[in-house]
Amino acid sequence: MPDSGSSRRRALKAMLTVAVLAVIAPFTNLVRFFYREDTGSAPRQRIANTSELKPGSSLFFSYPRTGDPKIDGDPFRQWILIMTRDGKLRAYSRVCVHLWCLPIYVPERGELICPCHGSIYKEEDGVAIAGPAAFQPYPTNALPMMSIEVDEKGDIYATGVVDGRVGLGREWKLRSPDTNLKRV
Amino acid sequence: MSAPRYKTFREAVDALIKWTVERLERTPFAAFKFTFPKQYISPYGYLGTLTTIVFLVLGLSGAILMFYYTPSVDLAYASVKEIEESVPFGFVMRQVHYHASNFMVLLAVFHLYYQYFSGRYKIKNEVLWVTGIILGILTVLEAYTGYNLILNQRAMLAINIGMGLTFAAPVLGPSVAPILMGGGYFDLIVRFYALHVFIIPLLMLLLLTVHIPRALIIDLPMIVGVIGAIFVVGGMFPAEIGIRFDPSKGLVEVPEWYLTSIYAFLRTGSERFWAGALLPLLFAIFFLIVPFVDKSKKLSWRDRPFFTAMGIASILMIVVTTVWGFYVDFSQRNVFDQLYIEPIIYYSSFGLMTWACFFVTYRYLIKPRGKPTPAKPVVLSPASGAVAVAVTLAMVIAFGYLALMTYAQDLPNVSMFNMGMALILFGLMLHFYRHTSLTAAKPR
Repeated sequence: MPDSGSSRRRALKAMLTVAVLAVIAPFTNLVRFFYREDTGSAPRQRIANTSELKPGSSLFFSYPRTGDPKIDGDPFRQWILIMTRDGKLRAYSRVCVHLWCLPIYVPERGELICPCHGSIYKEEDGVAIAGPAAFQPYPTNALPMMSIEVDEKGDIYATGVVDGRVGLGREWKLRSPDTNLKRV
Repeated sequence: MSAPRYKTFREAVDALIKWTVERLERTPFAAFKFTFPKQYISPYGYLGTLTTIVFLVLGLSGAILMFYYTPSVDLAYASVKEIEESVPFGFVMRQVHYHASNFMVLLAVFHLYYQYFSGRYKIKNEVLWVTGIILGILTVLEAYTGYNLILNQRAMLAINIGMGLTFAAPVLGPSVAPILMGGGYFDLIVRFYALHVFIIPLLMLLLLTVHIPRALIIDLPMIVGVIGAIFVVGGMFPAEIGIRFDPSKGLVEVPEWYLTSIYAFLRTGSERFWAGALLPLLFAIFFLIVPFVDKSKKLSWRDRPFFTAMGIASILMIVVTTVWGFYVDFSQRNVFDQLYIEPIIYYSSFGLMTWACFFVTYRYLIKPRGKPTPAKPVVLSPASGAVAVAVTLAMVIAFGYLALMTYAQDLPNVSMFNMGMALILFGLMLHFYRHTSLTAAKPR
């Protein structure tokens, strides 16, 4: 009976296919091996007290902090907390979205200036207004923002990246930097 | 059964060699046909073998460098500095590794163009050709991951541009880039190290097994000469370690020469993935598809004017973009203006270059010429051949002695130069040796 023979072969082949798929399936998790996944992705971390800052000043902090100087010193964990000249608090990634140098805050001009190719970011919202970073299209021309909380004692806490990816820029949404600051 | 007895030592050695060769016939080695030329032949035909030899030199010197190099963000630069300055012979090993990488890229490019202009991608060589193009790209990636391991300013410029380009790739970019990057630079350096010392070389070796033709020419004098040339260039132009990278300081640096062409594209200020990856990729795609487009039976470049013109245009573009990538306009005040390349001038120059190449090729190059007169080979008499061997031998000894002396005097670069000269002269001596043994054996 040639008919039943061929259907038996087809059934065997189907079983083999299913078996191969079942064996391969668990290995798809291998992909995750290549990514370093941060477990507690947004820890609440104390940065400073408002009394340590005056209008037109800044300080650097690393986030998320691990205690290992090699990891904490990584540029991709470098953030800058700014008290703007009119007293607003802002926290941006320090990694320039052009070529990943670390801009510094220049209070006289109210701007963050990158030492490498001279990209200039506004203190107000971290958007590039000059230099090569300003040439990049919108979501990639702005420094990622950190959401911060200030409690009644004046302690400032970093509570996670709200907008964008370090070194890349922001996501496709317009957001006022003021909404990232909570007073608790 | 009694053990075979040999009358002389020579007989025993011959028997051993015969025994080994017979047994090697059971191995894949039997598939290869090795030719050790008995006289000078043009190296254009075996540039691929020379590239492979330089690849082996890189493997050896790189493996030795691994003994001291530390793939760690805070220690990498210092460990390279240690190799360069305080490890005995470390200077020579690092310079050999660096300059061999340049030689390998250069030889691969020469190999590509010789095979291209002589139409070798036809005659059932398509698989060899395509694997060759992929090997070429892997060679540049290998060199790229290598010089990034120093973590100096030049390395960081390259890492930042490379990662930025990967990130900017549509669809795949944001998920591929973190695979290279990990959690930050402290992961990146280890991953680049793994790529450089294991993953990419392994891929290259695997591709090499497909790329390698069965008939191989092993020209010992030329191989020794090329290795000597690496030493000479390394001694004359030692590569510097550069300034340790500090992201909070300014960065004025150009990449290695095989990447400045891509750097020039990026400096036009166009969208970076489009300028820095897609346009240069057109070059690779052109070479990948050329055997499937050029279907004519003709092999010589004279009979294929279109592809000859395209080949010359691609060489011209590589040269022009490479030089342009190095050019920095220091009359400008800020860094961005110093590096900016006007895109209209830049891109229109490609049209001009292509037009010029087609014009020159069709107007002047493909004109039929008279039969080329074969060059008369230089033949030395056995006596003068013996003198040549003796003279080169004396020079090899002299340079070897000088190399030892200059190393003892703490002049590693001069010593390296002398080592290279000794090697080149040794290659020359090998050539005179085979030439003389050939002429001496010939009946008058």
